[in-house]
Amino acid sequence: MIPTHWFLILSAILFTIGVCGVLTRRNGITIFMCIELMVNAVNLTFVAYARQFHQIHGLLFVFFVMAIAAAEAAVGLAIFISLFHHRHTIDVDEANLMRW
Amino acid sequence: MISFIIFFFFAAVAVIFAAMVVLHRNPVVGALSLVASFFALAVMYVLLEAPFLAALQVIVYAGAIMVLFLFVIMLLNLQHQAEPHTRPVQQFLGYTTSAAFGLALIYYLAKYGVTKLPDGPFVSDARTIGIGMFQAYIFPFEMVSILLLAAIVGALLLSNRSGLAKDEETS
Amino acid sequence: MHGIDWVDVGLSGLKIAVVLGAMLNVTPIMVWVERRGSALIQDRPGPNRVGPFGLFQSFADALKFILKEDMLPAKANKVLYTIAPMFGLIPALTTIAVVPWGRPFLLPSGRLFEPIIANVNIGILLIFALASMGVYGIVMAGWASANKYSLFGGIRASAQMISYELSLTLAAVSVLMAAGSLSLPDVVWRQTGSFVLFNAVKLPAWNIFSPAMWIAFVVFFVSAFAETNRLPFDFAEAEAELVAGYHTEYSSMKFALFFMSEYMAMATMSALITTLFLGGWDIPWYNEPPNALGFALSVIAFTVKVSALLFVFVWVRWTIPRLKYDLLMKLGWKVFLPLAVINIVIVALFIARRWI
Repeated sequence: MIPTHWFLILSAILFTIGVCGVLTRRNGITIFMCIELMVNAVNLTFVAYARQFHQIHGLLFVFFVMAIAAAEAAVGLAIFISLFHHRHTIDVDEANLMRW
Repeated sequence: MISFIIFFFFAAVAVIFAAMVVLHRNPVVGALSLVASFFALAVMYVLLEAPFLAALQVIVYAGAIMVLFLFVIMLLNLQHQAEPHTRPVQQFLGYTTSAAFGLALIYYLAKYGVTKLPDGPFVSDARTIGIGMFQAYIFPFEMVSILLLAAIVGALLLSNRSGLAKDEETS
Repeated sequence: MHGIDWVDVGLSGLKIAVVLGAMLNVTPIMVWVERRGSALIQDRPGPNRVGPFGLFQSFADALKFILKEDMLPAKANKVLYTIAPMFGLIPALTTIAVVPWGRPFLLPSGRLFEPIIANVNIGILLIFALASMGVYGIVMAGWASANKYSLFGGIRASAQMISYELSLTLAAVSVLMAAGSLSLPDVVWRQTGSFVLFNAVKLPAWNIFSPAMWIAFVVFFVSAFAETNRLPFDFAEAEAELVAGYHTEYSSMKFALFFMSEYMAMATMSALITTLFLGGWDIPWYNEPPNALGFALSVIAFTVKVSALLFVFVWVRWTIPRLKYDLLMKLGWKVFLPLAVINIVIVALFIARRWI
């Protein structure tokens, strides 16, 4: 059986990579993908602790996170499509006006 | 023994492809790498005795959300747009901050993390999860369904170009 | 970790060999059936030169594929271009592992022989998970070819497959609710035996005959065509509009892999429809004995059902013209999705009234 903290360290590494992507990239969709990566790292932590303490609640939280990630993807991508239609770029540095 | 090999192989896959998402300039390659990373995470869920969740991970993330990402990237034809690099100071600060953050995270995980193995197998089949979901979490469940409905409406409103054009005409 | 059960490993290897052999042979047989069947429908002879009735035409085709030059477009992304055909093949080959293809029976040594490669209790979820990966082969091929027709094919495929996956999954939910299990052997066991419909006819207890499942069957059946990219829904390759869609730039064995994965996906889909709606390996009005004879008969029954469905795939392809793309999306989102949800409510009603 694999110790729980190995999964936690893997989750920490993935989360860090996600943070790194959000901080250094300018492409909106790539930043968005990095956020999804961070969300998944947190999910892994939830599942690891769920097994560690034999709690079903950790798994149920992963469900809610998945549902919210799906909603987030739908709305976020719609925002990027809208942004692209108005500015012909999805560079987040260009999206500096609240109203176009 | 074999589960350790599987763990290290797929942990490496997850980390390498996650790094690809950050480092590769092409968003299509990034999205496909992220799919591989999510798939490796699904293997992690199987190792954590949650096969039901692993299947859901592949269906929801790899099968639906990432296809949506790829669809939008290809629809907007973004692969031909060269993404300008961020300013050097931002690059430097971004990499160092996240590295420091990651090191701190791992340090504290190693220091205070649980090292005791869980006792006994963990049952998490569809029935247990369903009972938990519809008894203890019925209110959050309904809230999530309303949230999804709101997201559908919001996405339609945002991406509906003709409606927006009409809006601009009137204002 | 205990010692490895070598008999179990041997039996699993045998099952994998049998299923893999069957799946790999589906393609040449189906190519022949498709070409002769289309000829039959269009009232022309079809290929009849190579071997009796043109039976060896597929082998001649395979030889041709192997001998052709393997082209690589100049601006293609080499890695993705190369692995895309394999990605198309993997889901088609792996999903069949959780489909039961015969009645379990006791071996003389007292061991239960289950004719299924992986008897997992989330079988149907695994199928949908792996099937949803099938779209990546097409999308990768379409994008990596650096050809606008290929790209259009890829975009269309991604939109079409995520739309129809929804109604496909929701239609399957009806069956799973009635069976009360996510495991495919359980779904088949529930369909053995018979029931009396409307106090009039005695029918096998297959899901397709149950009034609660009629809508689900239609939705699932039509969505299966969309999911396997077959006419009337083959927008990913629509030769009248997109040259050849996502595989325009492919040649030689890479193209053959796409070809094979299309037919294997059809076979997997037929096996899935058979399992979910047509009683799997069950023989109507007959109680299979729990021994080797019953096993053999049930395997034959399963094969017959899958072959009949495969012929329906060919039949529909050469009979019904291609839809318009917006009609396809409208059909998926505005007709099939609500119908599948309505059917779930109907099944819930049946379960509540104990009619199922």
